[in-house]
Amino acid sequence: MKGRNLLRALTFTSLALSALVVVTALVPATHVRLQVRQRTTWDSVYTDEQATRGQAAYNRTCARCHLESLAGADVSPALTGAAFLSNWNGLTLAEMHGRVKKSMPTDDPGSYGPQLITDVIAYMLRVNGFPAGKTELTHEGDALNGVQFSAARP
Amino acid sequence: MAFTMHRIAMHRIATHRSFGALALSLTQLLAPTIGSAQQNAPAKAQTSKSAASVVRPFTTANGEWPSYTGDARGSRYSPLDQITAANFSTLEVAWRFKTDALGPRPEFKLEGTPLMVGGVLYTTGGTRRAVVALDATNGELLWMHSENEGERGAASPRPLSGRGLSYWSDGKQSRILYVTPGYKLIALDAKTGARITTFGTEGEVDLKKDMDSPILPDLVTGEIGFQGAPVVGRNVVIIGAAFREGGSPKTYRNNKGDIRGYDVRSGKKLWTFHTIPRKGEFGYDTWLNGSADNAGNTGVWTQITVDEELGLVYLPVESPTGDYYGGHRPGNNLFGESIVCVDLNTGVRKWHYQIVKHPIWDFDLTAAPILADITVGGRAIKSVALPTKQGVLYMFDRVTGTPVFPMEEHAVEKGDVPGEWYAPTQALPTKPAFYARNGATLDDLIDFTPALKEAGVALASRFKLGPIFTPPVLSKADGPLATFANGPTNGGSNWPGGSYDPETHTVYLSASNASPAVLGLVTPATGASDMNYVQGIAPQPAGSPRLGITVQGLPLLKPPYGTITAINLDRGEIAWQVPHGETPDAVRNHEALKELKLARTGQPGSVGTLVTKSLVIAGDPQVTTVAPRGRGAMLRAYDKATGKEVGGIVMPAPQSGSPMTYSLGGRQYIVVAVSGGPYSGEYIAYRLPTATTR
Repeated sequence: MKGRNLLRALTFTSLALSALVVVTALVPATHVRLQVRQRTTWDSVYTDEQATRGQAAYNRTCARCHLESLAGADVSPALTGAAFLSNWNGLTLAEMHGRVKKSMPTDDPGSYGPQLITDVIAYMLRVNGFPAGKTELTHEGDALNGVQFSAARP
Repeated sequence: MAFTMHRIAMHRIATHRSFGALALSLTQLLAPTIGSAQQNAPAKAQTSKSAASVVRPFTTANGEWPSYTGDARGSRYSPLDQITAANFSTLEVAWRFKTDALGPRPEFKLEGTPLMVGGVLYTTGGTRRAVVALDATNGELLWMHSENEGERGAASPRPLSGRGLSYWSDGKQSRILYVTPGYKLIALDAKTGARITTFGTEGEVDLKKDMDSPILPDLVTGEIGFQGAPVVGRNVVIIGAAFREGGSPKTYRNNKGDIRGYDVRSGKKLWTFHTIPRKGEFGYDTWLNGSADNAGNTGVWTQITVDEELGLVYLPVESPTGDYYGGHRPGNNLFGESIVCVDLNTGVRKWHYQIVKHPIWDFDLTAAPILADITVGGRAIKSVALPTKQGVLYMFDRVTGTPVFPMEEHAVEKGDVPGEWYAPTQALPTKPAFYARNGATLDDLIDFTPALKEAGVALASRFKLGPIFTPPVLSKADGPLATFANGPTNGGSNWPGGSYDPETHTVYLSASNASPAVLGLVTPATGASDMNYVQGIAPQPAGSPRLGITVQGLPLLKPPYGTITAINLDRGEIAWQVPHGETPDAVRNHEALKELKLARTGQPGSVGTLVTKSLVIAGDPQVTTVAPRGRGAMLRAYDKATGKEVGGIVMPAPQSGSPMTYSLGGRQYIVVAVSGGPYSGEYIAYRLPTATTR
């Protein structure tokens, strides 16, 4: 596990009540190696209703460049498929949220509210085959930092 | 053969200051072939009389990289040979240049290829497309130029850092030229970064103002831009035109993508080429019902190529308005999706070839045409080779427009979208063979396991499948939802284009085999567009299965997802093809594939290649996380003769611009732009470690 992820995992252990953090320590001679079962996008982290809300927002705002199919086009990357899954694999939803907030839409970056972005992420998770659950994804507090985007089911 | 060609290449290098004279004699040698122009290209091929005028005295032979593709010929070739198969994996970071502070916020889509001239590296970066000059040995910032274009910049259809810039020198003064997001051509003093005040108006030409048809509705929001690097041939700078994504345009009366040439000294407009013919001009009648008057787009958004010896320019033209619906523009629609050769000094058309008649697949010509002097069946041909989304390398005699290998017309399916006009046939070359997947049939679908194959076939049953040129369909909720195909929009080769080795006459092409397009049409939402149909998917009834084009997160199309292909142009044959890119995490770690021993799948995505004396170099288009190295994307080297992978180093993010190379102080450098996901734009320079350490 990379140091950055380890630090993050440790930092959020206290608040990640639902994060199912299981730590096993192996202690070779010079360094500590931890295996962390962090909460991931496979742990039903959004609701269907939220994703449907996100879909409406996506079609209103994002689809003009990334297309309704999320397949992307000449100048806008796909938001589904192997490339998208791999590029975000191992990162947190906070990083994804931050990236959208910082750079989208390109003609007025920063203009999307945090809830809209969160809902659109829920929709993107649904399109990419991650399961829905009973609790909405929230950007409140540091919650998004506690969810890791995982390309393959852990 | 290789030895002979090598000598010719060296001769050219040695005589670069008298290029004009050499060019003239070659032209005369070729004269007998003129006049055999194909039917599609009735214009007479003539070479410019002023071939003896100034040719920029730069090539990559002296270790520089003075143009976006190394030269103006689309080559991406350098004869440097210090970095080899034996030492590639020992490359170290020489310097890095993060582009965050060049604009008001970080940028995550850094696509530039820098230039290196005289020890200075020039490139673009940041959200406002700033220009920087860096010390090429250590990345130190020498100067920076940035235009804050306010609302006009924000409204750009092609915003952000762009793909680069161009360099010009007459031996006394050196200039950097680039196009801003707001579509202004700026000329800077290469030494200081200051505007050249004698160029245009105080160093700028407002490209929106200089159009033969006015840009509507106004100069601030009027839709047109260009994110490519302008190309300079002799003393002419040529500017392309680009627009928003074309699947769902607001209007079929969009702005027109005229191409223009400017005097590099004064900024004065020299010529305009109408990619959509005006009334009375050749090709106007290929737009039925006078639809050329209304149609727009049809620009050139990728790199333009120039033959400075012949004084000819090669324009790879995009689709007319409506990427997937052409009902408002019946007819073949010249010069949509055509390669057009025009005179460098006048812009007058010499020949053209329409690659796709009546374009409705978004087969925009995406890549810089590659100029290649080859020998086919014992005959010397000055050719131009055009990589495409179709995965077809089209080759023409670049003087006459005659195809190098015969073209055959194929009957293609007629669709049933109301109001659409269908071309009954499309042309394909007999050689070379396809180098990427085109279309999609059941044989192209995922087949790792019987269960996955079944799931793939079930998903695909909701779409229309078929070979190349299977037309888009009206999207129906109960099927077909769309035509599903690799090739259109994002398949095959895209803007990074290819590379050409002038010594072995081999082209190297990265291609995406798994970037499928979903070609469905729907009526636009009220007030959204005056088009009859725009790209879209019919609304799904509540409770219907998730709409997607992946099977349990796996690509619906089977591997290889991405490749690099070497094509020998003398023979028109594929020499080798290898998957390019680590197997994506989502595939490598997939629970359904754990028991399988997967061969490397490669990655979807078109990436830029660099060819050196012995290597083909290209980065992965995606991040992967592979023990023990952790998250990263590989920069790989292949033996250019065999395709064998001979080295690799880990980069922190995917290659997002195309690599270039130069030599300085006896050391060879490779610079590549990386960015993507949460990683903001950065140029990274690599070189070999010093032999001794203190």
